[in-house]
Amino acid sequence: MFKRELSYLNNENNEVVKKTLEREIKVAQKIQMKLLNGPNPEVENGEISGVSIPARLIGGDYYDFYMLPNGKLRIVIGDVMGKGIPAAMLMILTRGAFRSASESTQGPGETLTAMNQAIYSDLRILGSFVTVLCADWDPNKATLTYASAGHNLPLIVCSEVEINEAPKIKGVMLGGLPNTSYQDNTLSLNDEDLVFFYTDGITEAQNPDGEMYKIDRLREALLDNYYAEVQEIEDSIVNAIDEFTESLDQKDDITMVLLKVKNGDTKVASYTSPVINS
Amino acid sequence: MLKYTITKEEYTVKVTLNGDLDIEGTELINDKLIPSLLTAKVVEVSLEQVPFVDSTGMGLLMNLVNTLKDSSITITISHVREDVFEVFELLQLPEIFGKEVFV
Repeated sequence: MFKRELSYLNNENNEVVKKTLEREIKVAQKIQMKLLNGPNPEVENGEISGVSIPARLIGGDYYDFYMLPNGKLRIVIGDVMGKGIPAAMLMILTRGAFRSASESTQGPGETLTAMNQAIYSDLRILGSFVTVLCADWDPNKATLTYASAGHNLPLIVCSEVEINEAPKIKGVMLGGLPNTSYQDNTLSLNDEDLVFFYTDGITEAQNPDGEMYKIDRLREALLDNYYAEVQEIEDSIVNAIDEFTESLDQKDDITMVLLKVKNGDTKVASYTSPVINS
Repeated sequence: MLKYTITKEEYTVKVTLNGDLDIEGTELINDKLIPSLLTAKVVEVSLEQVPFVDSTGMGLLMNLVNTLKDSSITITISHVREDVFEVFELLQLPEIFGKEVFV
């Protein structure tokens, strides 16, 4: 090991060093993409999809799913301060904290509290922080319970003309304050409602004139695609951003998670109810 | 590209940042601005000419505030634009830095 390090340090051939670095970055990128963009879970009464597009070879955004024993699905989306390899390393730290917290906590607020306790001191030493939105989707009750650690709140698309931000809930970013606790908020969702979780890389995506994509364009794109399946909506949003930015390299990662309520029973009830009432 | 100007008075140093506060300001803030402020007693930072702060910029601001506080230097941040302050509030920076920092 010592000899290997020594020979590496003494190597004056820049080309070899460059190739070694490139190879290691590619391996790191592969590891991250495998961990991050895993298969979407299959959930009852809903469709789910997620994607993360790093601005550089490796990104600092993060999303993940965790099936809870009670049938709920825990969703997390996060944005690590910074870019590139340093942010990716902290992303892995965040992922570990989320996975272990999910095994022992009841709800999203408790999960964020446990995550902050687990990684606060590491983040302070490194002078970094992570914003995270954590949510539990209950497919049986059609409810979404969420908590935020300084992250954007999800958008709820209810029809082709109605879109709302989830009601505000405060919470300090992970790494911000020690021993912080996070509160939950719960929403009832209706059949065909779309929940859109995202990182600020979407609203801050820039075109060649330096203009940002902004929330209004995102809202419009979501309304335009309300009737599509989640995968199609995801593709449409990615394409809309790409069109706006004219494929310009972005400064920040772009990450989104989409959840669409698909309750077959509710649909049938709505078709039959006029008959019953008459 | 981020720039800054410094005005020194007897015990107070006034810093005006100009431009987007993002990853491109990392070296300027960490390697130039912060070391130059460590002999001050009071530092007043104006963000009047900062239209945009991303997550890296927030981290730079945190580093600036925490480093000066650790050196017992009083720091205030003023003239934060409304849309930038909305993001500060989302992250709860006033609670993290102390509400007295934002004036």
